[in-house]
Amino acid sequence: MPELRGTTKGPVLTRWFGTDNLHTLDVYEKLGGYGAMRKALTTMNPDQIVQEVKDSGLRGRGGADFSTGVKWSLMPKESALPMHLVVNADESEPGSAKDRYLMENSPHMLLEGIGIAAFAIRSHQAWIYIRGEYDGPYERLVTAIGEMKKKGYIGPKPFGADWPLDVRIFRGHGAYICGEEGALLESLEGKRAQPRAWKPPYPAQKGVWNRPTTVNNVETISTVPWIIENGGAAYAKLGTEKSHGTRMFTVSGHVQRPGNYEMEIGKTYRDLIEGLAGGALPGHTIKAWWPGGSSSPVMPGDLLDTTTDLDGVKNVANLKSHPQPPLNMGGRAFATMGGSGGVIVMDESFCMVKAAHRLLQFYAHESCGKCTPCRVGGNWAVRAYERILSGEGGTEDLGILDRIQDGLQAGRCLCGLGDAAGWVIASTLTHYRSEYEEHALHNVCSAEMAAVNATSPLAGRTNA
Amino acid sequence: MGVLSEHVIEEIRGLPAQFPDIRSAVMPALDLAQEHVGYLSPEAMSEVAELLKLDPGYVQGVATFYTLFHTEPVGKHRMYLCTNISCKLRGADDLLAHAMQSVGVGGQSEVSADGLFSVEAVECLGACEYAPMMRLDHSYHYDLTAEKIDALIAERKNVLPIHGEVPAKPAEGPPAAPAKPARKRAAAPRKKKADA
Repeated sequence: MPELRGTTKGPVLTRWFGTDNLHTLDVYEKLGGYGAMRKALTTMNPDQIVQEVKDSGLRGRGGADFSTGVKWSLMPKESALPMHLVVNADESEPGSAKDRYLMENSPHMLLEGIGIAAFAIRSHQAWIYIRGEYDGPYERLVTAIGEMKKKGYIGPKPFGADWPLDVRIFRGHGAYICGEEGALLESLEGKRAQPRAWKPPYPAQKGVWNRPTTVNNVETISTVPWIIENGGAAYAKLGTEKSHGTRMFTVSGHVQRPGNYEMEIGKTYRDLIEGLAGGALPGHTIKAWWPGGSSSPVMPGDLLDTTTDLDGVKNVANLKSHPQPPLNMGGRAFATMGGSGGVIVMDESFCMVKAAHRLLQFYAHESCGKCTPCRVGGNWAVRAYERILSGEGGTEDLGILDRIQDGLQAGRCLCGLGDAAGWVIASTLTHYRSEYEEHALHNVCSAEMAAVNATSPLAGRTNA
Repeated sequence: MGVLSEHVIEEIRGLPAQFPDIRSAVMPALDLAQEHVGYLSPEAMSEVAELLKLDPGYVQGVATFYTLFHTEPVGKHRMYLCTNISCKLRGADDLLAHAMQSVGVGGQSEVSADGLFSVEAVECLGACEYAPMMRLDHSYHYDLTAEKIDALIAERKNVLPIHGEVPAKPAEGPPAAPAKPARKRAAAPRKKKADA
């Protein structure tokens, strides 16, 4: 294992991180692990667990912010067909690595959460859909499930409760779109991963193999044991009035201490980026940052005081001092979003047009091809970026980008991939229009020039 | 005769029992076939389709959707370099160029002359705090530098990287892979150390 980069001994999720061999059942249990699962299965009924999670205010940490307790309560109480819990471990959002951090360091925390969640939604079989590239976390989970079976925690009578439990792992094979709920279920059914033309029926009615299904993110499920152990009210005390608890952030890019940090919701991104992650690299300043993976609209460096609560981040007060990007989510305007917590930091040495070009390449490559705006728009935008960056662009290319971002957004595609691609163009074009114009009209890159000047022997001299 | 050996066929036959629907077995089955053959040749995909009693077109449709399935021959060792934003900000593009040059391939669809390596630029691999990074076969390698990449390549060529010295005699070559007759293997390049 490489050195741990991130929070150890944090308030909730990472409270035991840093302990030697935390990934083994013995160590995890000695620290107090599996107490919550025992408590849930032997002293509570499913409805009480759902209520406890509702009280905690826990919201989905995969990026959609939907209340976990409410999601669970949508599952039918009786069903002729088997019901499933599906854990979304297909973490592929650029800049997000928190699920990997949780799974490889504390696989039993996820598995304990699965045991509780499956019981709460009256499911006997849970599936973990893990991305194919995650070999390390996969091995850890396989070993951990083996340990649980030996102890009887997975089996016909976990903790003596008359509630047979089975946990299985399904490996993905490299497709960003599988992080989307419907596409993930299609993939689990052995098909090309394309989002479903929902909704309704919701997965709780017709999910995988047409059976009632709940899909939850790794971090969400990993939080559940703490909530059951300490009570929903204790969790609700953490964070702000509307966004409760703590969450994991992955900080990457141009910072001194990249890592996975657990932080109470409501503190600012400055606390995270300049505090925990050590701030910009020496001699540099932060030019831009993405709050929640590349799919969240980019923010200028002077807005670091934005708070991390899930509502606050959508309505950034200071944004008034900046031009407002034309962002649209189902008809509602917003500034940016917390997303999956993958914070990407970029300093002045890197060109925003090049960064946006790379991200559009990503969205064009990962488009599943089902919806026309996303299938066509992504590639169209990439070609416009290529013209601009090769010095063959012009004002008409900026106009084309503007039209494409509009065509991709506002729910014109079945899933969020199209919106996200549109937001990348819209937010970078609004906040960094001058860089686009320099490239398109004058074939000049100020970021590159600044980088050259910084390393030049004349750097720092005035009137040289 | 088919391209899959008896034990792989047995394993694939056992897969459908693990799922409520036979189609769910198609990806694990393709995975086994790819491990065995090296890549998913048309014959391998047809055999998987036959074993699972699925339409060959359907199986091919699944195989071509996912990036971890290779429908063209790849190197014995596959380097998947992340070039997405977090790694790019920390120099992934230069490392990609370096890796390609070190193993001697000009493009991502090429296999090195000795059949040992192929290099692919991939999207975010979810280890952004260790950027730049890559997945080499089945393990992650972190905080990459050109030197680290060269050392990993040398290790797989069975040439010990001792202070830039070229060992007098080459160590054992890679085990012969009779399942890949199509691959031409040049005799000389394996001896050479990667150009730094």
